[in-house]
Amino acid sequence: MDKKANIWQLLFFVAIPLVPLLVFWIIPLFVSVWLSFTNWDYISPDYEYVGLSNYLNMLADEAFLQALGNTLLFAVGTVIPTIILGFIFAVMLSRLRRNVTFLQGLMFAPWITPMIGMSIVWSWMFDPRVGPVNQMLGFFGLPEPHWLTDSNFAIWAVIIVTVWKNTGWAMLFFSDALTKIPQSLFEVADIEGAGRWAKIRHILIPLVSPTTLFLFIILTLDALQAFDQINVLTQGGPSGSTRTLLYLYYELAFEQFNMGAATAVAVLILVISAILSFISMKISKKYVYY
Amino acid sequence: MAKREKIEKLILFLILLAIGLFMVFPMVWMMLSSLKTTEEILGGSLTLLPSDPQWSNFPKALEMAPFLRFVWNSFFTASVIVIVQLFLSSLLAYALTQMEFKGRNTLFMIVLSTYMLPAAATYVPSYVIISRLGLMDSLAGIIVSNLANVFTIFLLRQNFLKVPKELIEAARADGASEWTILWKIVAPMSKNALINASILSFVLNFNNYLWPSLITNSEENYLISVGLNRFFNTQGAFEQTFPLIMAATVISVLPLLIIYFVLQKYFISAVSSSSGLKG
Repeated sequence: MDKKANIWQLLFFVAIPLVPLLVFWIIPLFVSVWLSFTNWDYISPDYEYVGLSNYLNMLADEAFLQALGNTLLFAVGTVIPTIILGFIFAVMLSRLRRNVTFLQGLMFAPWITPMIGMSIVWSWMFDPRVGPVNQMLGFFGLPEPHWLTDSNFAIWAVIIVTVWKNTGWAMLFFSDALTKIPQSLFEVADIEGAGRWAKIRHILIPLVSPTTLFLFIILTLDALQAFDQINVLTQGGPSGSTRTLLYLYYELAFEQFNMGAATAVAVLILVISAILSFISMKISKKYVYY
Repeated sequence: MAKREKIEKLILFLILLAIGLFMVFPMVWMMLSSLKTTEEILGGSLTLLPSDPQWSNFPKALEMAPFLRFVWNSFFTASVIVIVQLFLSSLLAYALTQMEFKGRNTLFMIVLSTYMLPAAATYVPSYVIISRLGLMDSLAGIIVSNLANVFTIFLLRQNFLKVPKELIEAARADGASEWTILWKIVAPMSKNALINASILSFVLNFNNYLWPSLITNSEENYLISVGLNRFFNTQGAFEQTFPLIMAATVISVLPLLIIYFVLQKYFISAVSSSSGLKG
């Protein structure tokens, strides 16, 4: 039996820890929703209720539709390679017995570096004249795009940096999941004479599927919130080709001070995130193998 | 057979080593570039190593902006945030696991529902709240607005649930207060979870950029990423200052990188432990 708490204990153990959560999370979330129905401009104390017009304007705005498309491309373009590469690296690592921690250490290192600092480094690595990326491509006789100034390539530059930073993280999750697979399953597979690919397809991939799903959701939520690398590498440009929903929100709120329109975009990001995390909770309750 | 397996493992190791080196290449390239002269870089040759290491790039960069101050600000705010987060989250996780009160499950569901929501959606109202509290452009503002950490609450709750109930009941029978039970029994038994939560939170807060950049505007209050990006935006367009920018970036990346390579084991177990939080 847990102890029944008295009022003072509740105040101390529950109310006090909840203060920061309320003041900087829960209340602001509700206020954001409310602001999205106003035309507040931050500077003046007055505002009017404008109903749904922020949302309707948003849907009719080409910059918004472009940002929506960019966000989708960015999310798919970062999440899928991160998961696939993370899985492949983890499977390869699982076959080694020595030096595993050393190799994991190298691959995971990008995750702990600051995104701002490393994006600055990448912005020079992508430099068409002195950057090693194009020097390498040129060495192999491949085309050398102007990564950050060509609107066809800019988003791929941002995607490359994001995948580079997160793959090691995904690899650690898969490594952890692989160690939890019972060894007996492989023994059975050996008796049945299953080949390496059959083992990967019929044992590894299904048994790490909860991890894959979890990573898929977390990485998608992460992609929705990507900011630092875009800010350093392209600032949303050229011609809006790397402006995601979050970047649009940032420009509307903190460059144009159009708080109503900005919070409408924020509410949309919020709704997408809420749906994703709801799905993840529902599904992960269903498929827990261990 | 055994020999073939050995060769196979060696090849596998070499491939993985190449991948690993590729992953740290940007860091290595940054460090080498910070020691080159402008001419050497703009020459555009493929040479990786600086011909004559320019250590003076570092004092020159430090003269242009107070980077050590920025590093200190990041270190200080991240440390305070982590300590307060651990304290508050321990209290709440303890209440959620060892105390009985009305609405306990509802409360947990509400906290849970904020877990994955984007922080950016709170920025406009939080901005107003920070300015009403008079904490605009201060380290206190950065600290106060980052104290809530739902992830830490989860991680601790999950570990506090593993503490045997008999232990807690025995302590209560001996007349121990809830406060004592938390800090003398439950917290020590969840030491690993506390370490893991602090590592993850420290990295995120040390590297934090967008929110701190919105609420600070004087140099003395910049976190390292904020100060570095402002420096990059004012100097970045000039190829002449490129080695200095690399030197400044090294200063921003190196502190955590050193801590990471020393405490690598802990970092990796911290991330692996967070994978147990599915659902």
